[in-house]
Amino acid sequence: MVKQKTNFWKKILIFLAVLGPGIITGSVDNDAGGITTYSLAGAIYGYKLIWTLIPAFIALVVIQEMNARMGIVTGKGLADLIRENAGVKTTFLIFIGVLIANIGNTATEFAGIAGSLEVFGVSKYISVPLSAIVVWFIVVRGTYKSVEKIFLIFSLFLFVYVISALLGKPQWGEIGESIIKPHVEFEFNYVTMVIGLIGTTICPWMMFYLQSSVIEKGLKPDNYKYSLWDVVIGSIITVVIAFFIIVACAATLHVNGIEINEAKDAAIALEPLAGSFAAMLFAFGLFIASIFSACILPIATAFSVCEAFGFEAGVDKSLKDAPEYYTIFTIILLTGMGIILIPDAPLIQITLWAQVANGILLPIILFYIMRMINDKDIMGNYTNKVFHNVVGWSTALVLIILSVVLVVLPIIE
Amino acid sequence: MSAIKTFYLSRVLGSRIYSPELDVIGKLEDIIVDISYERPKIVALKLKTEKGHEEFDSGPFDLIKRRGKYYLVCKELKPINLSKINHVYLAKQILDRQIVDVNGRKVVRVNDLRFAMIPSGTFLVAVDVGIEGLLRRLGLAKPLKFLLKPFGLSIPSKFMPWDEVEHINLPNLSIKISSPYSKLLTLHPSDIADIIEELDRNSQIDFMNTIDEEKAADVFEELEQDVQISLLENLPVQKAADVLEKMPADEAADILDDLDKEKAEELLNEMEKEASDEVRELMEYPENTVGSLMTTDFIAFKKEMTVQQTIDELRKLKPESDSIYYLYVLDNDEKLLGTVSLRDLIISDPDIKLVDIMNQRVIKMQDYDKIDDLAEIISKYNLLAIPVVDNYSRLLGMILIDDVIFTLLKSRKRKL
Repeated sequence: MVKQKTNFWKKILIFLAVLGPGIITGSVDNDAGGITTYSLAGAIYGYKLIWTLIPAFIALVVIQEMNARMGIVTGKGLADLIRENAGVKTTFLIFIGVLIANIGNTATEFAGIAGSLEVFGVSKYISVPLSAIVVWFIVVRGTYKSVEKIFLIFSLFLFVYVISALLGKPQWGEIGESIIKPHVEFEFNYVTMVIGLIGTTICPWMMFYLQSSVIEKGLKPDNYKYSLWDVVIGSIITVVIAFFIIVACAATLHVNGIEINEAKDAAIALEPLAGSFAAMLFAFGLFIASIFSACILPIATAFSVCEAFGFEAGVDKSLKDAPEYYTIFTIILLTGMGIILIPDAPLIQITLWAQVANGILLPIILFYIMRMINDKDIMGNYTNKVFHNVVGWSTALVLIILSVVLVVLPIIE
Repeated sequence: MSAIKTFYLSRVLGSRIYSPELDVIGKLEDIIVDISYERPKIVALKLKTEKGHEEFDSGPFDLIKRRGKYYLVCKELKPINLSKINHVYLAKQILDRQIVDVNGRKVVRVNDLRFAMIPSGTFLVAVDVGIEGLLRRLGLAKPLKFLLKPFGLSIPSKFMPWDEVEHINLPNLSIKISSPYSKLLTLHPSDIADIIEELDRNSQIDFMNTIDEEKAADVFEELEQDVQISLLENLPVQKAADVLEKMPADEAADILDDLDKEKAEELLNEMEKEASDEVRELMEYPENTVGSLMTTDFIAFKKEMTVQQTIDELRKLKPESDSIYYLYVLDNDEKLLGTVSLRDLIISDPDIKLVDIMNQRVIKMQDYDKIDDLAEIISKYNLLAIPVVDNYSRLLGMILIDDVIFTLLKSRKRKL
């Protein structure tokens, strides 16, 4: 009952209560990998790819709505449900995939940390180990829950991309045209970029994370409508931020024909074009997004692996009570960090392989989600309606085709 | 070819079933046990036959292992009516589910189930919750064992005997469990609370619904706040109100403070008036005041009472152990005059009046005092509890040291 600075905390708590799981997931979704992909898309193709955000938004809402509904109705995590309904073998394969993909994703987050701080002149050999130590302590010392709230406020800083974009004086006419008349090419690089954009927006770990936070929040079937809005608003946030990152890079880098390889190049290249303030905002946004995801990704992965295989897990557990949980978490964190610290690490390839692993996983997990959400034993009266199923299966189908293309393309190349 | 005495569920699922004439009848899909036995007994088999999926009374059967594969030979298969049997489908309802390990006080996942065959039938004896069970399901246990053997290593295996298991997580709740959750209830409420926190929400609700209010209140007090809130919102209003009534008023007020206003009001209205009035009063205190933390369950006597009368009264009241160490002495206007200890009562002459033996230098606080000073005073004077009075020195309640420690822990957690 003791609440010093009562009003301050209470206000923040109420504020967070209104925010909710969908919005958190939506913010976390724009991680280092996402920012990189959006920057590349804007720098290379200008405003041409903005239309992809619309199908990405629809898919995001459809899938997250199903996750939220499953969480609300069953009170069980996605890993839990997969284990109980798909059997050990499938679960095992899925989680091998989840581990590989998320180690890759974690490496991408550390690359984001390294890149963003290099803009401010900090060497990656200092920034990466330091932030890994900070992340480890935050999680193991059990202060993660409070830190999550702080990060959530920080993630509002992602709106710095709006300012960054406006400073670049974008051509609104062209933007409007590209949305109304989508420009579709069947050129190899173009297709890869489209898939990359949608793939980075919809990733498997996000589904696990959303479902768990819905449960943690204790939402019940009466809250369903509220939860749907929460998901929609979260998806809007994801897409709006993606939009402004693309616009920021398109208005400056693309117009001037500047090529970039990763997100930090975008920040550096922005400086002469939109001013050093815009560049620093861009780098700061990247840093916040990266370190936030570097906290959440390993812990969410460790949690779902433990949930699936029946090890004790949870940020409130001590090292002694949940050794498997902390071991998995530490391994993911260390491997992710180690990859980035290798001199001349092939960052682009690592990002690509993480995406491929995501790409293989996504259709498998989607298939099980669609199957479970139509199972009366699991969902009771809350199974998919015809409309849900049509939208759900077509989203799944499109994503499955995209994922297959994404996996096959680099092999053909 | 050899006859089997013990076997694992994972090894027999999908095995072929033969008649004594060695005709194939079908494939084993599930095993159904009667859980009214101390160790559940196999009563029926669910088969996939040409006609579809059917349950049969298994009767005694033989299990044969040949070249690493299992075959079941059934003497006769009779149709069975399961509605009268307290039954569970093992593959569907137990395997891969979470169960409670009563001794380990935690929730674990069922990787496999182990049976023993004796002349009177086949019984479920243990639950495999270890890595070995997982690997066996993956078909990796034997090859790995073979590889590790030259190095003198083995795969860690972990079994729980069935009598340490509590199968809370049954998805189909129409099944009656003979003595619901009984093993769990022998644990300390704080341990039960730890286990409940691990369960999924629906199981939490089912569990709280099954146990009686008294126990539910004890357990409820020990739960984390977020679980308390989710439970209050999801339990039937009547049950939630009953639990709140049985709790100390200060803790009930704490929890209701954190619920949304409408729900809190609904619960308060459902509670008995006496209990809810007390809670409402406490809820009026701002959060950082001493009043919000106090309990109104204290013991006080009028100054005119004799030692003998006091002891008789105590015997009648049978107070809880945490309130008996401080007995307060009041005048006719409810004003706090002093305290007496149990020691004072025991060593004094039975006819002497309380006012003559009481300790008059009482350390007390006022209800609107700040909580910050509370811990300091309690530790400075080595108190186990401190009385709370209003502006006119009338006794309102007392604060126990556990509540102070709990508050300190909570505010420390929050600061981190």
